[in-house]
Amino acid sequence: MSAAARRRWRRNLTGYAFAGPALIVLAAFLLYPVAYSVSLSFHEWDGYTPRWGPFVGFENYRALAADEVFWRATWNSIVFVVVRTPLEVGFGFLLALLLNHRLALRSLLRTFFFVPVVMSLIVVTIIFQRVFEPNTGLLNTFLRVIGLGDWAHPWLGDPATALPAVIAVSVWKNVGFSLVILLAGLQGLPQDVIEAARVDGANAWQLTLRVITPLMRPILALTALLSIIGGLKVFDLVFIMTRGGPTYSTEVLATMLYREAFELNHMGIASAVAVILVALVLSIARVQTYVLDESPEGGKA
Amino acid sequence: MSNGAGHRQKHSTSRELSRRRLLELGLASAAASPLLLRAGRASAQSGTGGAQPTVTKTPTGELKNPAELKAPKTKASAPTTISFWQYVGFHVDAQKFIAEEYKKRHDPNLTLEITAYPGLNEQRVGVKSAFAAQSATPDIVAVEPGAYAVDVYTSGSVLDFTKVFAEDPEYKRGFWPNALELLTINGAIVSVPAVTNTVIVYYNRGIFQQHGLEVPNTLDELKKIGAALSAKGIMPIAYPAGQDRNFPIFPYYTYVGGIKADKLMREADLGLKPWTSPELVAGAEFVEMMAKSGLYAKGPLGIKEPDAIQIFATGKSAMFWGGQWMRRSIRAALPPNFDLAIFPFPAVVPGGHKSVLSSVGITLTVNARSKYPDLAFEMIKALTGPWGKIEYTRNLGLSPNGPISADAIAYQMQSLKDPLYPEFLKLQPTGTTRVIFTPAVEEAMTQGMQAIITGQKTPKAVMESVEAASQKVGARKFRTG
Repeated sequence: MSAAARRRWRRNLTGYAFAGPALIVLAAFLLYPVAYSVSLSFHEWDGYTPRWGPFVGFENYRALAADEVFWRATWNSIVFVVVRTPLEVGFGFLLALLLNHRLALRSLLRTFFFVPVVMSLIVVTIIFQRVFEPNTGLLNTFLRVIGLGDWAHPWLGDPATALPAVIAVSVWKNVGFSLVILLAGLQGLPQDVIEAARVDGANAWQLTLRVITPLMRPILALTALLSIIGGLKVFDLVFIMTRGGPTYSTEVLATMLYREAFELNHMGIASAVAVILVALVLSIARVQTYVLDESPEGGKA
Repeated sequence: MSNGAGHRQKHSTSRELSRRRLLELGLASAAASPLLLRAGRASAQSGTGGAQPTVTKTPTGELKNPAELKAPKTKASAPTTISFWQYVGFHVDAQKFIAEEYKKRHDPNLTLEITAYPGLNEQRVGVKSAFAAQSATPDIVAVEPGAYAVDVYTSGSVLDFTKVFAEDPEYKRGFWPNALELLTINGAIVSVPAVTNTVIVYYNRGIFQQHGLEVPNTLDELKKIGAALSAKGIMPIAYPAGQDRNFPIFPYYTYVGGIKADKLMREADLGLKPWTSPELVAGAEFVEMMAKSGLYAKGPLGIKEPDAIQIFATGKSAMFWGGQWMRRSIRAALPPNFDLAIFPFPAVVPGGHKSVLSSVGITLTVNARSKYPDLAFEMIKALTGPWGKIEYTRNLGLSPNGPISADAIAYQMQSLKDPLYPEFLKLQPTGTTRVIFTPAVEEAMTQGMQAIITGQKTPKAVMESVEAASQKVGARKFRTG
């Protein structure tokens, strides 16, 4: 081995030594479970016996394709993401634009909007269960007080309104997170470009629409990506508030996964759901990465 | 409960009893107890529970637990800790107390380490992971009767009680036969109940009296009461159908119990009879009728237990359909002058009997891979045996897992101030089990009942879907009872 090759090898070895612990952790807690889950999705297993049941090929996936609850859960997951993400990012952006100005009480407002993010999810769901309670809940009581008693409704007890109600809570809980990311993005924008636009006579509307929003595109995309992934993975909020009901109206892929694994003892089918969920998240992440790469900061433009 | 009985209850339970009256009750109960116990054993054949002697409070002095905490056959030879995973937080104090006494009196080397998961779901996930990993921990496992018990036993994860009962037949006789029948899978008793529970109607006697209403005996009477209360702006029944997957099925179980079709339902559960038989479809029709009757507070599927308790405790509803296990939560929410009473759900068919939903609550079994199975069984015997059951239920105010004496009840009532406790004991004999063993069937029932309550499906369509789910499971790998 030449001296140059030895030096290169030593340099590489140092790199591997530094990255090694992280790679081991990654392999043990991410790659291995994913591989395990993929493999399990081709088997039968009740989750109790130490050994998996027989290899069943694509049977678990075929069973899912024939299961209307799976399609319902997939549809609900998509609706959850499609409705939640624009609301969460949109409100977050509007609030960020507002709080980016020198307002009185700006810090207080920022904290106010961020509080739901740090609140325990259990506490949030319990509060909102009470808010949505059909008879004495805050929402219906408020509607009655302002003369809109006809609108009072069993929000979580009606399949038509249960999913929108859960989505509303999710948006309320997470909008502060989008706000913080987007506000940080706004504060990091190149001020010379914004000043130049102002000098050129752009009004506030034009400045926001034509200058700030395009500059914020990568951050908006990142926020949307995080929201989409969070939306697809949603479990706790739905499980605590409605357990996927009534009549599967709020069933999402993650709650279906849980139900199949731990209530119906179909670990193979549950793993198949998990694989599909991961595939969905990865595909969306890839699309989003592509969009980011196409952005002015992404290097392809 | 007849009107007369309701009247009797008013005098005998909710108000302070005179010393003389207490003495009379105690003596009468003690005299009646052997007969009642025999009657209890006989009547338990038709329900989970059984008759208990009637007594309310101690007549004089400080009473002691009349049963004996028997010495174990096996003791730990060195300091040993056995683990116990359960899912009902409010049982922990009672269990700890018994385990400590057992340690103090009989086995100073043995310590019970209790892990109380926040709920059944969390505990079940933990137990499942432990069993899959062939872990020796936990030594003692709390399981729910039905699918959970079937899963852990048929997978070979837990031991059964055949040997324990063979060695100590008296211990076996301490349980209600039907409770054990519910826990018998493939011919073996796989776990034993710590307590039994009933589902009844709590009612606000103050509201009833204020509006001149009597406790209903029939469904028609209940409907009339509902109409009268609604006319006054009071919701009739707070029914927390949104609490969990079991609650939406309560009305169905009530009907099936009311027409004595429990056995038919069990056979359908095991795939031996169709769910579309007229009696079982009629159960679904009853669910629909109840949902449309205006008897429930609005949107029952959007109501959870705490919401329902609040509605009831604040006088917005006159009745609350719930379980005995919620007694403490209800009491805690009530204002001081609230006159709380209970009655069994009225007869669902003319001339029919009043069906009281009953089930064993938490049940205990032993991990097949436990390093200390004998010690674990001894600890379970301490918790659920003659002495333990009296302490356990004295702590919680839930019904015992088997008959106890009038003296025992008097002892319990010393510290258990709740006058409803003896009322619950009286309702035990009529218990109708509310357990489905096949997970897919239970899931179809839950979803189906929700669909009926929300008006999405007809009763017939729901029972067809339940039958389809049952058929999809195929031949069961287990039998029960």
